[in-house]
Amino acid sequence: MIKFNKETRLQLLEIYKNKHIGLEGNILKVIDYDKEDVEFNKYLDESKAEDRDSRRKRLDITKQIQVQNNELKDAEKKNKQLMVDLQIALDEAKRAKDAAVEDLDTLQKRTQFELMGMIVKVALIVIIGVGSVTTVMYLLALINHWDTKLLETTWSNMFGILLTNSFSIIGTIMGVKYATEKKDDKK
Amino acid sequence: MIESILLVDDEDLFHLVFEDACNLLDITLTLESINSAEDAEALFESKYKDINSRPECVFVDLNIIGSSFDGIELVRRINFEHGNNVVIGIISSSNEPEEQAKAVKAGAQFWIIKSDDIEPRLEEFKKDFVSYKNRTGHFKVYR
Repeated sequence: MIKFNKETRLQLLEIYKNKHIGLEGNILKVIDYDKEDVEFNKYLDESKAEDRDSRRKRLDITKQIQVQNNELKDAEKKNKQLMVDLQIALDEAKRAKDAAVEDLDTLQKRTQFELMGMIVKVALIVIIGVGSVTTVMYLLALINHWDTKLLETTWSNMFGILLTNSFSIIGTIMGVKYATEKKDDKK
Repeated sequence: MIESILLVDDEDLFHLVFEDACNLLDITLTLESINSAEDAEALFESKYKDINSRPECVFVDLNIIGSSFDGIELVRRINFEHGNNVVIGIISSSNEPEEQAKAVKAGAQFWIIKSDDIEPRLEEFKKDFVSYKNRTGHFKVYR
């Protein structure tokens, strides 16, 4: 406990009277004073009341700030959760897009292969057809001892051209197929 | 009145609330507030190594953010590794019976639930403090 001497007591009372500055805080709880000293008792009571008021105000403000702080923390938590949900939705959308692109790719490839198949078929029909007609004509001319001079050269030329073209078609198709497979591997 | 209190809580704002509430309710004369469980343990290894220099009462937050161990572990260490000699308990916004059971096991004597209105709980605790000091009071949750 603290006991003030007369001089300090007087100074404290004067400062309070002139400038309204009183003691604050826990020091007020450890002052040993004369219970008969009405003036100093009044000073201590007023100082304690003012200290209590300011503490109460500060406590209320701090509590308000604490509540706001907690609300901000909750909002931050909610925001984080929203971001996580958003990321999940984004990932799902990306997966769906990838699946759709893959489906489209497969469809395109199928169409391409069907087209290639058609080209090969028509080309083969034309090659075999022309080759067969020319061969039949050449054979007829040989059997019947007709003049084969013109047919001979035409047949060999025609056959050469048809063979070259058929290899060219097959080569092109194989090339396209190889290029498509390579592109898929890269993906 | 409790002579001295040590508060271990990561939230600086709560330090102010607790300090003002203690002051208004005449709970203590000296209050020391620290933010981490490690700092609290360090105090018990240095400043409070002598059991007579220890605070009368220690309030520990349950989840001390930024610390490598939680409040219950700090209570256990103070009780079983540093020789106790303090009234010790948890102050937390949590009201989980499982956590409270763990706290009892660690040697906590009370559990005060933090809320916007902490004063009535502290006032009730102040009344029971002597029983905790005498080791006659049973574990209590202040709701």
